[in-house]
Amino acid sequence: MVPITYYLLLAAALFCMGMFGVLVRRNALVVFMSVELMLNAANLTFVAFARMRGDNLGHVSAFFVIAVAAAEAAIGLAIVIAVFRSRGSILLEDLRTMKH
Amino acid sequence: MNLPNLSLADFLPLLPAIIMVVGASILLLSEVFLSTTASRAYQAVLTVVTAVAAGAMALTTMFEPPQEVMLGFGVMDPFSSFLTFVVCVGLALATLSSVSFLRKRGAERGEFYALMLFASAGMSLLAMSNELITLFVNIEVLSLSTYALTSYLRRGTRPSEAGFKYFILGAFSSAVLLYGAALLYGATGTTHLTAMAGPLSTAMSSQPGLVYAGIILVITGFAFKVAAVPFHMWTPDVYEGAPTPVTALMSVGVKAAAFAAMVRVFFMVGKGVDPQILLSLFSVLAFLTMVAGNLLAIPQRNVKRMLAYSSIAHAGYLLVGVAALFVTGPGEQFRLLGASALTGGTPLDLARAEALRGILYYLLAYTFSAVGAFTIVSVLERREDEEKGTAWDLERFSGLAQRKPGWAFAMAAFMLSLGGIPPTIGFMSKLLIFQAAVDAGLIGLTIVGVLSSAVGIYYYLRVVVYMFMRPVPEGAQALEKSWSTELALVLSTAAVVILGIIPGPVMGWLEQASSIFGQ
Repeated sequence: MVPITYYLLLAAALFCMGMFGVLVRRNALVVFMSVELMLNAANLTFVAFARMRGDNLGHVSAFFVIAVAAAEAAIGLAIVIAVFRSRGSILLEDLRTMKH
Repeated sequence: MNLPNLSLADFLPLLPAIIMVVGASILLLSEVFLSTTASRAYQAVLTVVTAVAAGAMALTTMFEPPQEVMLGFGVMDPFSSFLTFVVCVGLALATLSSVSFLRKRGAERGEFYALMLFASAGMSLLAMSNELITLFVNIEVLSLSTYALTSYLRRGTRPSEAGFKYFILGAFSSAVLLYGAALLYGATGTTHLTAMAGPLSTAMSSQPGLVYAGIILVITGFAFKVAAVPFHMWTPDVYEGAPTPVTALMSVGVKAAAFAAMVRVFFMVGKGVDPQILLSLFSVLAFLTMVAGNLLAIPQRNVKRMLAYSSIAHAGYLLVGVAALFVTGPGEQFRLLGASALTGGTPLDLARAEALRGILYYLLAYTFSAVGAFTIVSVLERREDEEKGTAWDLERFSGLAQRKPGWAFAMAAFMLSLGGIPPTIGFMSKLLIFQAAVDAGLIGLTIVGVLSSAVGIYYYLRVVVYMFMRPVPEGAQALEKSWSTELALVLSTAAVVILGIIPGPVMGWLEQASSIFGQ
């Protein structure tokens, strides 16, 4: 039996990697993947705590989050396609029409 | 396996949201059967009718005692009913202003109104959410609709860029919020807000790190959603790039719903942890947001962008009200200035109810003033100038008083209201919120608030000066009239002026809505 702390540490590491990716990476798709990583870190935390406490609430929460993440991916990829069509690039440094 | 037992009484409180979802589904289904050239005038009418019906439904529940719905996952109380009403008002006005906007761009489609309705249904449900996962799902319902609406006009480069920025930062903040919720669940073993207070205070002594991390992550997530400094970077770009009616809905509806959820979450969390922590966190956020929002708005010549920064500043004033909710004892030396109309309870309860009343009235006031201002911005802009970025320049407003006295008067009323000058609703709402802050003993924060709103008057009045004191520029394009825009302007101007003089029935609703957390 792996102690719960390990799961929580893994989740925290995933979350930090995701956050780092959103802040640092320049490719829209990689940024998008980093956000997914953060959501899954939250999922892992929910499930680990649910295991520890032996209740179902955390498991159910994870399912809701998975469904929401799928919907978010659909919208997000559609927007990335719209960006690519309008300027032929998905690099974030090209997204600065509105700088003052 | 035991299935939950739901009765009709569980669904009735959700009626406003159900009405909006049904209206949106009708719009989506009817769109399938229409040819591209068919008239779509009915769609806006249907949306407005739906919004009015949902708002009226919310008003009828305003005086009912609080009750839990859906096994305690949601709660219907005067607070959520009032918020639903505010959202419906914002939705109806934004819809009216989008009719001619979409027609000029040849982009009239049922999806647009359906997404507005879905977003508003999400906002209404968010105000009712009483459980962290329900809250997260509702945030996503409203966010996903607004991401799509932001990049609705696909042809230009700006909407897709704005949509992408909004999406990434929105999804990022949702993830931060969710991770915070997961940590709070780990610390307390529950995600129900009402059940959280007890376990939270025990967890505070056994695992303080977990609780602190959870609270800070949840506050950060909400701070992104309400555009509080230093989490505001996305706001100007997104507000500028989004279609103007969508910006209007975003600035009022999303903000109102996010504030409602934030107040509900932290009021419950505040019962389990030391409120002093929350007070200092929210005070810092309020201070930074008021000062930075107003200072950043000053150099803006782009009126739409200026309104975006002004919406940040207004979030700051609202945060002063939120901070006032967490005082542990009202300043003894101060008589409770504004609490006279509120009855019952200890001075502390009264001070909290007063703060809540200030927040709610402020949200209503901002709804009328901001949607009105964005409506004027949307009638003055032209599609051809959007790529150049001059569509929203101050020059656009030159001599408006000579060309369209009615519009200039309306815009002046909105600007005065946003600046907080009597006799407008904006003044009344600022008065209520700062009064509550003084009663709570937050004198320093109130002084900063009043001073920074005085700074704000400069950039609001600059628009008025351009409208009334500059000549009409050469070769100005003809301004198009449309009944729906006129109706939106008349309604919001009337509300801004009349409610500023006689708050009347709204005050009655507010006392109802703000009393619930007082107990």
